[in-house]
Amino acid sequence: MSHLRRALLVAISITAIARVGAAQVKVERGLHLDADGSIRLINLVGSVRVTGWERDSVSLRGSLPKGDKLMMGGGPRAMKAFIESTDDRNPQPSTLELMVPARAKVWVKTATADIDVTGISGDLDLYVVGGRIRVSGKPTELNAEAIDGDIEVNGKPIWLRAKSASGNVTFNGSSSDVAISTVSGGITVSSVPADGSGKFERAKIESVTGAIRFNADIEKGAAIDFDTHSGSMEIAIPRKTGVDFDVASIAGSITNDLNYAKVAKGRYGRGSELVMTNATGGARVTIRSFKGPVTLRSAK
Amino acid sequence: MTDDTIDEGKLRDLMKEVAALPRTIEPPADSWAKIRAGIESTPARTTRTGFWQRPVFLAAAAVALVAGSSAVTAIAISRGGHNGAPAIVGAAPSHITLPVSDSGPASLAQFTVVESDYLRAVNDLSATLDAEQGSLSPETVAKLRESIKVIDAAILEARNALAADPANRTLIQMLANSYEQKVDLLKRTTEMARG
Repeated sequence: MSHLRRALLVAISITAIARVGAAQVKVERGLHLDADGSIRLINLVGSVRVTGWERDSVSLRGSLPKGDKLMMGGGPRAMKAFIESTDDRNPQPSTLELMVPARAKVWVKTATADIDVTGISGDLDLYVVGGRIRVSGKPTELNAEAIDGDIEVNGKPIWLRAKSASGNVTFNGSSSDVAISTVSGGITVSSVPADGSGKFERAKIESVTGAIRFNADIEKGAAIDFDTHSGSMEIAIPRKTGVDFDVASIAGSITNDLNYAKVAKGRYGRGSELVMTNATGGARVTIRSFKGPVTLRSAK
Repeated sequence: MTDDTIDEGKLRDLMKEVAALPRTIEPPADSWAKIRAGIESTPARTTRTGFWQRPVFLAAAAVALVAGSSAVTAIAISRGGHNGAPAIVGAAPSHITLPVSDSGPASLAQFTVVESDYLRAVNDLSATLDAEQGSLSPETVAKLRESIKVIDAAILEARNALAADPANRTLIQMLANSYEQKVDLLKRTTEMARG
C-alpha cells in the first residue's frame, strides 16, 4: 500500500513537472548597449537575475508562460524590456536572466518577483512590492525599494538608499552615504573592519517599530543618525573609534556598554539621555528613540 | 556696511559726545501733574475676574485643548486611507521636507502649521491610492494597511506626548519623522500601483 502510494505520488509529480515545463516557453535575445547605457526591465511575477559583464551588449534569456511575450527594444544608449502577459489581472511567473555591461544603469521593477543583482558598478534602481531584492557588488548608486519585501545588500555601494515597510533590510558592507528606512521591518548593518569592509561617513537609519542593529566602524568626521519610535537599537562600534554621541530616549532605556559614561535622566524630566565622547571623539552619532531600548556596545 | 569699514575716527568722536551727555534728565516740571490727573480721571475697574480666568477653569481648558488636539489628529490620520482600504496614490503631491532643526518648529503650536501640510498630503495620496488599489494584490493591500496602522499609532503616541510637553524639540523631530515615513510610504506605494 505504501509503495503504491509512493509510486502514485511520483507519477503525479512527474506529470505536474512535465506540464509546467510544457507551459513555459524559452526566450533569448541579444542587443548592443553602450558600456554606460541604460536598461529598464519589468517582470511582475517570477524572478529576475541581473549580472554585469565586460561586454557592450545585453543578453536576456528566460522562460515565459505559454502565450506571454517578451517585448524588448531601444538603442545603444537606452533600452527597455517587459513581459506582455496574456492575463494582466493574473500574470504567471517568468524567469529572466539579464547580462548587461557592468557599468550600465539598470532599472528593474517587479511585483512579487525576486531580484538578484551581481557585478554591476553602474547605477541600480530596483523596485519590488512583495518580492525580495538581493544585491552583491559595488554599484556606484543603489536605490532599492520594497513595500513588504526584504532587501539584502552585500558589498560597497558608494551611495545607498534602501526602503521597505514590513520587510527587513540587511546591509553587509559599507558606504559613504547611506539612508535606510523601514516601518516594522528590522534593519541590520554590519561590516567587519578587520576585513577592510570600510567605514561609514554619512548615514541615516530609521524605523518605526523595527529593530535596528548596527555593527560597523565610522570615519572620523562622520555624521550618523539613528531614529526609531519603539524598535530596539543596538549600536556597536570599535571601542577605539572616536565618536561624540548624543543619545536621547523619551520613554525608553539607554544602556551604555561601550565605555564608562553614565546615562542621565532626560532633560524634559523623563526618559534618558547620554551625551558623551568615546575615545578622542570627532564623528557625530545621534540616536533618537521614543520608547525603544537603546544599547551601545563595542563592535565584535 | 560691515564692521571692517567702520571709520575709527568717527567712532572715537561719537564716543566723546556720548560721554559728554548728562547721566540723568529731569522731566518737564508739569509732567507729573498731568499724569496724576490722567490716572484720577479714569474710572476704577472692578477686580472681579470672570470664571474663565479662574485657575480651575484654565486647567480644565488646557486638558480639553490637549485632548481635542489629539482627537483631531487621530481622526485626521485615521482618514489617511486605512479605514477600509489603504489609499494608493495617483498624483502624488510634492514630498514635504521638514528639517525640524533649530530653525524648525519649536513648539506644538508651531508644528501644527506643518502638521496640516502633512495631513493634506496624506489625504491626497490616500484618495489616489484608493482609486488605484485594484492594481495591488489583496495581500499587499493588507500589509500596507498594517504598516500605515503602525505609523499612525506612533504618530498618535508622539503627538500625545508632545501635547503634554509642547516645547520638546526631540518629540517634534520624532513626530515629523513619523509623518515623513507615512507620506513616503503612501507615495511609494502609489508609484508602485501605477506600474
